[in-house]
Amino acid sequence: MSSYILRRMVLLVPVLIGVAIIVFGMVRLLPGDPAVAMAGVHATPEYIAQVRANLGLDEPIHVQFGVFIRRLIRGDLGISTRTNRPAVVEIWPRFLNTLSLTFISLIIASFFGILVGVISATRPYSLLDNVTMVFSLFGVAAPVFWLGLILMLIFSVRLGWLPSSGMGTPQHFVLPAVTLAAHSTALIARMTRSSMLEVLNMDYIVTARSKGLMERVVVVKHALRNALIPIVTILGLRFGMLLGGAVLTETVFSWPGVGRLMVDSILARDYPVVQGSVLLLALLFVLINLFVDILYAFLDPQIQYG
Amino acid sequence: MKKKILGFVVLVMAFSLLFSNSLGVMAQEPQEGGDLRIAIGADPESLDPLYAQSSPAAMVMVHMMETLFEMTPDGDIVPLLAEDYDVSDDGLVYDLYLREGVEFHDGEPFNAEAVKFNLERLLDQGAVYSFLIDAITEIEVIDEYTIRIATDEPFAPILAHLSHDFISMISPAAIDADDPSQDAGENIVGTGPFKMDGWNRGEAVLMTRNDDYWGDNAYVDTFSVLIVPEESTRVVMLETGEAHAIMNVPARDVSRLEENPDLTVENVPSLRTLYVGLNNHREPFDDVRVRKAMNYAVDSEAIVEHIIDGAGRPSDAPISPDIFGYSGQEIYQHNPDRARELLAEAGYEDGLEVEFYYPVGRYPMDQTISQAIQSQLADVGIDANMTTMEWATYLEVVGGNEPEDVEHDMYFLGWGTVTGDADYGLYALFHSDEWAPYGNNWHFGDHEGVDELLHEARITPDPDIRQDLYAEAIELIWDDAPWIFLHSISQLNGVRNEVAGLIHHPREHIEAKRAYFIND
Repeated sequence: MSSYILRRMVLLVPVLIGVAIIVFGMVRLLPGDPAVAMAGVHATPEYIAQVRANLGLDEPIHVQFGVFIRRLIRGDLGISTRTNRPAVVEIWPRFLNTLSLTFISLIIASFFGILVGVISATRPYSLLDNVTMVFSLFGVAAPVFWLGLILMLIFSVRLGWLPSSGMGTPQHFVLPAVTLAAHSTALIARMTRSSMLEVLNMDYIVTARSKGLMERVVVVKHALRNALIPIVTILGLRFGMLLGGAVLTETVFSWPGVGRLMVDSILARDYPVVQGSVLLLALLFVLINLFVDILYAFLDPQIQYG
Repeated sequence: MKKKILGFVVLVMAFSLLFSNSLGVMAQEPQEGGDLRIAIGADPESLDPLYAQSSPAAMVMVHMMETLFEMTPDGDIVPLLAEDYDVSDDGLVYDLYLREGVEFHDGEPFNAEAVKFNLERLLDQGAVYSFLIDAITEIEVIDEYTIRIATDEPFAPILAHLSHDFISMISPAAIDADDPSQDAGENIVGTGPFKMDGWNRGEAVLMTRNDDYWGDNAYVDTFSVLIVPEESTRVVMLETGEAHAIMNVPARDVSRLEENPDLTVENVPSLRTLYVGLNNHREPFDDVRVRKAMNYAVDSEAIVEHIIDGAGRPSDAPISPDIFGYSGQEIYQHNPDRARELLAEAGYEDGLEVEFYYPVGRYPMDQTISQAIQSQLADVGIDANMTTMEWATYLEVVGGNEPEDVEHDMYFLGWGTVTGDADYGLYALFHSDEWAPYGNNWHFGDHEGVDELLHEARITPDPDIRQDLYAEAIELIWDDAPWIFLHSISQLNGVRNEVAGLIHHPREHIEAKRAYFIND
């Protein structure tokens, strides 16, 4: 097991190098000059040339790549061209904000998703099942932008219960986290339902029931545990999706997260910040995948790692 | 040539403020206290004058830092940290007399040394906006409160340039002497009515009142600028009271907000004018008849009325009315028949095809306006092929090429005459030395007589003579129709009625220096 984890950790290095190359290439393939973007409409050509030189953008592309990789190895992401501060300082606090929002969304999504899914699966095709499935269809289909504004109109403007945007108090988390979680909750609910339905028809469930076990024990201990594998897979994937999907939620709710930072940075051609953010997200994504893979073994002892 | 006029202007302004009350509320004694919050759309990139370059940054900075001169909302340049000045007869040497007894927030004295330090830092470290003052060749401390600046050639707009928000004075003690290029924006130490209290990037800039301010203290205890990129969210915050004022209300929300008795929407002219530049350097726009036809074909009044819901003013000059040197011309009335006639005269009776580049999301309703222009041109037989690209790319493509290499015939753009002086709005855009890619004359205009007038106006210190020179230049430019003149844009700001005394400045910011809460 530990050798498997170690091997997977080592494999992270080529993956991240691959990501670094792709990100480096992609931002430079974008048309538009970061020096012009930085200097603005009113700048003189001399000033733009000077900015370009300061940024090292007058060097050939392979030289720039060499500098980028050498710095990366030292953990230096460069200086933001938009704000003149180290890219790490720009990214890290924003990243933590996104992470906390994503994490809470994931908790909401998995709690309600699994709860609703299990309830639906135990009463298939009942009125309750149909109603929750209609809601989850709605959850999957509703655009984040629209949902966020509607929730804001109801809970901030009409009822005045919750702050509409920004961060600070726990109440500030409610609307953005619910908005961000809506899609995943619905998806997890549907996934749980179908996975549970499959398991509930198995022979050993019949056995468990015929032993006279309480229905709750049968459902939670015998069925759910075995239905969890696909659910955990989807949870892991959703975490990555939530990180990426936070861009819109962050914009609607003025959440100072890394998603918004990336959009701003792309528009300003702020290469160091774009590269750094993507690398950090990629790193987190592969770590989560690794974590999910390891979790399988705990859920299903039949899964072996060689 | 002692100038006491400026002081007089201030007096007149102060009186006119005393006797007017823009809200129409019964005159009420402003009260101290309260926490004021204003929401804007973008995070400042920096608050250090060395690196700041956007209007969101300026909007925050003007509350903590001050400039030597200041531009009033009416466009007059009046003293601020400088009390008065003398200019030599040849227009080359300015002696600035500084206000005495002013202290920075850290207790350091504001004096001639501090001014010298700030101007030199901006010039030596290559500030984004250093071009505003790079005409200055000599900065000399005469005594504690007198500083002399000199230029090699007379440069009349210098006071307007010194009034620019990015030529603000900050405490020399707050700058790392070993590395003056270090961004000091994290902890700004200025002389303004508010002190910096914190900056959560992407979220808010927090300020508290400076109780030792040299002028009249601010009324509110704290002032926060909230960063809220989504315009619908800003509107919601205004309605819930989470923000007391917001910038850039979307035009579609205006009528709904106006029905709300708690709110007011202010329509504030800005210094920004929108236009469609025509490539004057080659066919078909090297012919003034074709360029005029374009102006007759496009209905700028309809665009203002129907597309931006009145949040603008149809152009009657290449610069907007609040700018020094403006003089209004006779607008090109929408007249498709006249346009077709002119095209036929120029040999294009069978119509013509042009490449039209435009940005999306940079200016209010830019895409819709571009499409309207396209259809109005189609009406007179001009077929415009539309190309758009994202802003950073757009700038490079439209303004980064030699005249031989450009592919577009016309391009949609705006220009903010941020100094409030016609020199900045006209010289950069119409002087033939300023052709792209070296300058901002991206339409490659070479208008007869204009170069000389613009130069003359730049080196003449007398404002009255300058005014006349600009009037003449604007008339020539207008008649040469190098652009399709569209409109100067207004900003729509939303304000809750419990707040009074906000100043909506044409430089695209809301000022809270004298704002207060009205108690019911």
